[in-house]
Amino acid sequence: MSSSSSQFKQLEKLGNGTYATVYKGLNKSTGAFVALKEVKLDSEEGTPSTAIREISLMKELKHENIVRLYDVIHTENKLTLVFEYMDNDLKKYMDSQSTGNTPRGLELNLVKYFQWQLFEGLAFCHENKILHRDLKPQNLLINKKGQLKLGDFGLARAFGIPVNTFSSEVVTLWYRAPDVLMGSRTYTTSIDIWSCGCILAEMITGKALFPGTNDDEQLKLIFETMGTPSEATWPGVSTLPKYNPNFAQRLPKDLRMVLQPYCKENLDDNVLGLLNGLLQLNPDLRLSAKQALHHPWFAEYYQHFSPEQQQQQQQQQQQQQQQ
Amino acid sequence: MSSYSKALPILMKAPVTDDIIRFLTNATLKVLPASNYPSPPSSPNDEYQPRLPSLMTFITNLVRYTNVYTPTLLTTVCYLNKLKRLLPKDATGLPSTIHRIFLACLILSAKFHNDSSPLNKHWVKYTDGLFTLEDVNLMERQLLQLLDWDLRVSEDDLLIDLEMLLEPIREDLERSRRRRILSNTNNNKKRLPSFNDGYISPISSRPTSPNSYQQPNQKFYNLQRNVSVASNLSSSSTLIGSMNDLKRFTNVRTNSNTQLEKLNSMNDSQKRQSWDLEQVMNQYGF
Repeated sequence: MSSSSSQFKQLEKLGNGTYATVYKGLNKSTGAFVALKEVKLDSEEGTPSTAIREISLMKELKHENIVRLYDVIHTENKLTLVFEYMDNDLKKYMDSQSTGNTPRGLELNLVKYFQWQLFEGLAFCHENKILHRDLKPQNLLINKKGQLKLGDFGLARAFGIPVNTFSSEVVTLWYRAPDVLMGSRTYTTSIDIWSCGCILAEMITGKALFPGTNDDEQLKLIFETMGTPSEATWPGVSTLPKYNPNFAQRLPKDLRMVLQPYCKENLDDNVLGLLNGLLQLNPDLRLSAKQALHHPWFAEYYQHFSPEQQQQQQQQQQQQQQQ
Repeated sequence: MSSYSKALPILMKAPVTDDIIRFLTNATLKVLPASNYPSPPSSPNDEYQPRLPSLMTFITNLVRYTNVYTPTLLTTVCYLNKLKRLLPKDATGLPSTIHRIFLACLILSAKFHNDSSPLNKHWVKYTDGLFTLEDVNLMERQLLQLLDWDLRVSEDDLLIDLEMLLEPIREDLERSRRRRILSNTNNNKKRLPSFNDGYISPISSRPTSPNSYQQPNQKFYNLQRNVSVASNLSSSSTLIGSMNDLKRFTNVRTNSNTQLEKLNSMNDSQKRQSWDLEQVMNQYGF
């Protein structure tokens, strides 16, 4: 890690991250595009902890479904993170698919391919003892090849060593798990899985599953669809700091009834089964990223093909592309 | 290693003790083993500079002011040991270099391991005027570059680096396990139901359960604790303190040979101190 900023030409602004501005950049020596994330350093704060974590954690996360951090340029008043360039993010892509004010979901085949890649990247994070803690469509970057990569590790944290408590002020509200909303600080990988469930539903329908405006409304929206938890369905729930025994009692709805009206294709039992496994109120019952990758909905990705079958498939794909 | 990993969470939940502070002080001193620190006499112009407290006092005060969590404090050892491996064996520094090294490690540990942590301007206050904001920002940046931004600490790192502190806990756990087995065997033979308690040993009344690993007479570093700061300060003070001093010192060294000779002639061992972290880094291409 030893680039200087003169190596990159700064092009147009791509957006504002949680604590930084992102520009498209050109690596003058290789001619390749990069994303330059610029963090203004405030002398009173020193190097922001978000940047310290993002760099420290991403430096070693080399996976095709995680945005690569190439380099860091650290000067007295500016910190620049040089990332792999991606064409778009999932939020903007979904918005571009909507017609006017009518939200439209993505084709289920594409949903499946994106969701599979999301789990591949997330499973790698979790294997490496890293929680992302801010999964949402804006932080999932995509390119023209249809690849999806996890980005923005500004809220990420290492876990697995007996260190300090975690904050419950994490994850963008709409994608925040009910246990975290009720103040749990002992969460683990399940925090990211809930977000994955929300993202899957959003890709299917084109609209956020639980678009709350505050913590209370967020929980209300979740319970209206998934049912209100009780000690019977979730042992220990009543001991959470913000548990309220007077939560309005709701019964769980059938997710098919909730989602099918917004989806043109027929939702099969497999995708609904997967969603149910991700959106378990009790964090201990949620699937892991690894388990999700083995879910029957993804059978076509993990089923073993003989070499001849693979060849046939490739030929078919090539023919389709030529047509 | 498994009995050590059982001891780790107990150590992490325990309050900060004298033993921990001493352990950290030693670990910090080992980062620059070639330095020995005779107090340089104060030069006439530096009267207003804060006095350099002993490293142990410095660490004690930081712990006292910040009320830092035990795990945050203990993981600094992993950074200190890593730094020791990175730096050349004969690296030396200014008298305050070890203070800088410890403080920078603690700041990075706090920022990396906690969801909220003090800003650098707060850390400046915790040093009692020893360092300026500019100093603190610089030492943080230098340490990040030295460690190549890799602040991850694994359980294995902790087990290795904290072995000395884990050993007595492990022995305690082992003893209580043996007693438990013994008492269970006795129970079976003599059918004495009153010995059924799994943790409290029937032989000794000393609490040995993991949750009660706090020896009542030990001095803990929390807000109420009673630490004499002033006496420590005056007993072992040197004068070169802040980054400004360091700059002045460096300028003197490069610009004025006579002053340099004056400085160097104070003490032969002083010559070996004419390093600082920045120089070490420059020399070794960081």
